[in-house]
Amino acid sequence: MPPLLQIDHLAKAYGPVRAVQDISFSVRPGEIYGLLGPNGAGKTTTISMVSGLLVPDGGSISIAGRPLAADPQAAKRLMGVVPQELALYEELSAAENLEFWGRLAGLDTKTARSRTAEILAALTLSDRARDPVKTFSGGMKRRVNLGCALLHRPKLILLDEPTVGIDPQARLNILEFVRSLRADGVGVLYTTHYLEEAESLCDRIGIVDHGRMHAEGTLRELQERLGGQRLFVLEGQWTGAEPDTWPGLRQHYRVLQHTDRQLVVAALDERDPADCLRELLALPVRAENVTLKRPSLNDVFLHLTGRDLRE
Amino acid sequence: MKNILSIGHNELRLFMKSRTALLWLFVLPLAFVALMARFSFGDGRSSNRFPPVLIENADTGFLGNVFIDTLSAQGLWRIDPEKDTKNKPIRTIRVPADFTTRVLARQPSNVELVPVPGSEDAQGDALVIEARLVRALVALNSHLLETSRQGTQWPPDEQALRTALTRPALVALDSKFAGRDPVPSGVGFSLPGNLVYFLTMNLLIFGAATVAATRRSGVLRRLLTLPVRRGELIAGQLYGLWLLGAVQIAFLLLIGKLVFHLNLGANTPGVVLVLLVYAWVAAAIGILIGSLLDSHDRIVGVCVLASILMAALGGCWFPMELVPDVLRTAGHCVPTAWALDALHRLISFGGSLGDVLRPLSVLAAFGAAATAAASRWFRV
Repeated sequence: MPPLLQIDHLAKAYGPVRAVQDISFSVRPGEIYGLLGPNGAGKTTTISMVSGLLVPDGGSISIAGRPLAADPQAAKRLMGVVPQELALYEELSAAENLEFWGRLAGLDTKTARSRTAEILAALTLSDRARDPVKTFSGGMKRRVNLGCALLHRPKLILLDEPTVGIDPQARLNILEFVRSLRADGVGVLYTTHYLEEAESLCDRIGIVDHGRMHAEGTLRELQERLGGQRLFVLEGQWTGAEPDTWPGLRQHYRVLQHTDRQLVVAALDERDPADCLRELLALPVRAENVTLKRPSLNDVFLHLTGRDLRE
Repeated sequence: MKNILSIGHNELRLFMKSRTALLWLFVLPLAFVALMARFSFGDGRSSNRFPPVLIENADTGFLGNVFIDTLSAQGLWRIDPEKDTKNKPIRTIRVPADFTTRVLARQPSNVELVPVPGSEDAQGDALVIEARLVRALVALNSHLLETSRQGTQWPPDEQALRTALTRPALVALDSKFAGRDPVPSGVGFSLPGNLVYFLTMNLLIFGAATVAATRRSGVLRRLLTLPVRRGELIAGQLYGLWLLGAVQIAFLLLIGKLVFHLNLGANTPGVVLVLLVYAWVAAAIGILIGSLLDSHDRIVGVCVLASILMAALGGCWFPMELVPDVLRTAGHCVPTAWALDALHRLISFGGSLGDVLRPLSVLAAFGAAATAAASRWFRV
């Protein structure tokens, strides 16, 4: 079975700004693929090209094995797009919104109505179905925003930062709902700049920054790119320090981050952590505190892009 | 087509949920029509091209029927009180039982013109009926004379007389106001003027503001992620606004008839057609403005200014018949002037649909140009 979404060497520029450069990845049925990157990394531009809103400057996009450009309308019938903004009619009720978007997705009125009731129940919004969306909380609006893309039961769902600006509980609800979509065999392309979401939700993750795909794989595969399973965070006065000149450091460690107060290094081999700790405490600059931890996605991002995703 | 209808109906539903829209659609236009009709000069009666009459034909011969056909040819609208209960005649024409006998015997016969109770305020139309009755009588006498001179027998039979009726007239008199049309007045002026003004303002403001707001919220972009083509999206927006205009037109024409007793008579389809074409023009301009501008405040400012300018230049607030020729010419740069030309022709000057083909064509050209421009610059 071909991937639901196959992107090869995708490129898009706005004048001199290269928003997306040579990005390739695929999304398979029943898979959540996370596109992780900071604001301006090119995630939304990528989704816009996949959903047919932007025409790529280069590369190709295939939906369920067929080029998007060959029949965009047919491809759109297979997709459900949840934009980053709350693209809803706030004066209409939740049910009216869903029915309207369902009809435009190709459903007849009767089917749109029955599926609206199903989706509102699944999103635990049935009791507010007839209320205007403008009276909803941010989390509820996000759920309606999500529901509007699901009426026609798409095989591929594009979620562009669907949890921006909502409280933790509402975020958990949405993440749980997205997991249930995966269980139904739907392929999901999920863009986010929240590390925790990508770590906990996505089967595979692509790390993008400045329009480029820096790495992709499962969480474990990405962690292993750092060489070992251990990171040491050393706190102290690192102003003016020059780790490259310290004997032995480069042979056994990779420096991931160096700031005035923090030095983060990854062990390159499988030596005992206690030995590593002893070596690090013997560095020319005294460490006030040392923390040992497993590499996170942020560490991977830091390693790949040279900057912290949380910045 | 289904997408266009869905988008259009949804737009109308959104407008109808807005209290502000209801105020501007229904309440304020009504107040303006009433106010301007009250202070406008003239008797305010529209000159209906086909004033309704009741004809009581007691004639036992054929001449009564021929006479009735002559009346219709002169532009009188015969009401059948049993079938048509909506339109009320203002005069009754009675043809006596011995009409054929006496006329063919070259004796005088009295055809009566009697006011219908309750029609005392319809003096304008009564004069038109009286004039056309006289013209019909003169025409009938002329045809009788013509038949008697050309035929070999007297009295002529019905066939010979009807044949004479179908011959082209050798002499025709076409009377018009010298130079300019008369000045429309009263509700005959204020209703079309305000209807065109409020259509302009509402469709410009609501159209532009809606397009810009849905663009800002991302709704327009989201619509295009569905199997909806760009052309369908634009047509759907246009259709929704046009429906809004149609609702306002229906409401004000109904109120005009029921409350202000505006008599459009047989010209109702023509009036509705002109207004619907104008609603298309205004809706397309609204979408164009919404495509070019983003800020709500700027959109409202531009639309109010444009509406006022178009209303003033087009003659919504004062008849164009009163202004100097230069201003009249300048006024016809905007579609409002063409719409009001057509409406006054139909409502106040007794014109028919054929008489307003030119302004209708110009309006359609405005609509096509505005639609093309809106499509060109439409942004999501």
